[in-house]
Amino acid sequence: MIKAHPSDALLHSYVAGDLNSASGLVVSTHLDMCPHCKRMANVIEEELTAAMAAETENGAPTDGLGDDDMQLMLDAIFSSAAPDEGLVTTKTTNDGLIYLDGKRFQLPRSLARQQERIGPWNKMMGNMWRAPINLGTDEVANLIYMGSGTSVPEHTHKGTELQLVINGSFSDEYGHYHDGDLLFLDGTHQHTPHTSDEDCLILAVMDGPLHFTSGISRLLNPFSSLFFR
Amino acid sequence: MMQLQTNRQAPRAAVNPANDAAKKAEAQHLAGLLASIAETRCRRAFSELFRHFAPKLLAYGSRQFGNEQTASDLVQETMTNVWHKAHLFNADKGAPATWIFTIARNIRFDLLRKNKHRRDEISADELWPILSEQNDSLEDDYALDHDVLMQEISAYYAQLPDAQRIVIEKIYVEGKSQQEVSDALGIPLGTVKSRTRLALLKLKELIA
Ligand SMILES: [Zn+2]
Repeated sequence: MIKAHPSDALLHSYVAGDLNSASGLVVSTHLDMCPHCKRMANVIEEELTAAMAAETENGAPTDGLGDDDMQLMLDAIFSSAAPDEGLVTTKTTNDGLIYLDGKRFQLPRSLARQQERIGPWNKMMGNMWRAPINLGTDEVANLIYMGSGTSVPEHTHKGTELQLVINGSFSDEYGHYHDGDLLFLDGTHQHTPHTSDEDCLILAVMDGPLHFTSGISRLLNPFSSLFFR
Repeated sequence: MMQLQTNRQAPRAAVNPANDAAKKAEAQHLAGLLASIAETRCRRAFSELFRHFAPKLLAYGSRQFGNEQTASDLVQETMTNVWHKAHLFNADKGAPATWIFTIARNIRFDLLRKNKHRRDEISADELWPILSEQNDSLEDDYALDHDVLMQEISAYYAQLPDAQRIVIEKIYVEGKSQQEVSDALGIPLGTVKSRTRLALLKLKELIA
């Protein structure tokens, strides 16, 4: 049972196309896992469509499309080449399966589509691993794998971070998170994420580094650019 | 605050039944036009659909881009997709207007990023599909607690020359500014900066 969902504002931005690619990927992966939010997104889609349909009824200031303009556009459309059908291939190589620590993980659809963008797994610290997802943008998206019994020292966030549990569970001072839970974290969250008996695969997107807050673990701060990369 | 929302409302229902019936009839008519385009490449059906949606798309685009030229590019690209891909419309999944809105939304997303376009950049259709390796050295399966992690980190720091390590500890553990470190150690600010930079480079090398 998913407990942590995107806020209405985040969902709205997603449907409107206002999120960047990395955050969009997190939300669309959550929608793959969460029928409730999927329905909400459809409702927002209809609301935005109604708003678009109402643009002209409410006397929007565009009178830029005369009959001549329309005819020119129509002619251009009718003479345009059909898009290359080769682009609509069904990929059979992306089965969405990844193998970690001797276990098999099935990625949700939105992530499986990006499987070939997933880079190699690198060790961060201890039994914590990370694979970058190259979206071809400047945004930072990573898959993070925490083995069982792993913890990250207490930290806060210099920017904002979205974390989606793909499989497994982890806990922090605020709660216990399972498959499909979506967390929004920023400078107001000081926490110590950890796994216990179960391991955890997470999709994480950040726009600023972690900042470690307690005692000696502040020595990690020079590394946060590496965590963040 | 964590975004926990346990008791969310179910999607709202439409309110006005008369209005609703009219909308339904219109949606059915537009869906019929899309079907004619898909089945017979009917130009008359497309022209009607175009005249219905183009002004709305143009108004939407103008508001989004603040620019009539880009807005009309949006109209052109959206409706070109509709012309070629009408067969992908599925009336069971939603209204024609919603389908066309989502196509326009995706094209807007790509248009907004076009100037800084990179070849491998993820496209809107990958994020909102409408139209359309790892190494095996993961066997060391040891649970890691905080202390082990800090031991690892300490081992990295131990490999730094003392002069660099002291500067890093003052900045990152004691939270001093570079100027304060310079004053405390009686060394020039430039030296503090270069030691910090060298230490970070070294740490980066060690952890990579
Ligand atoms: Zn949800």
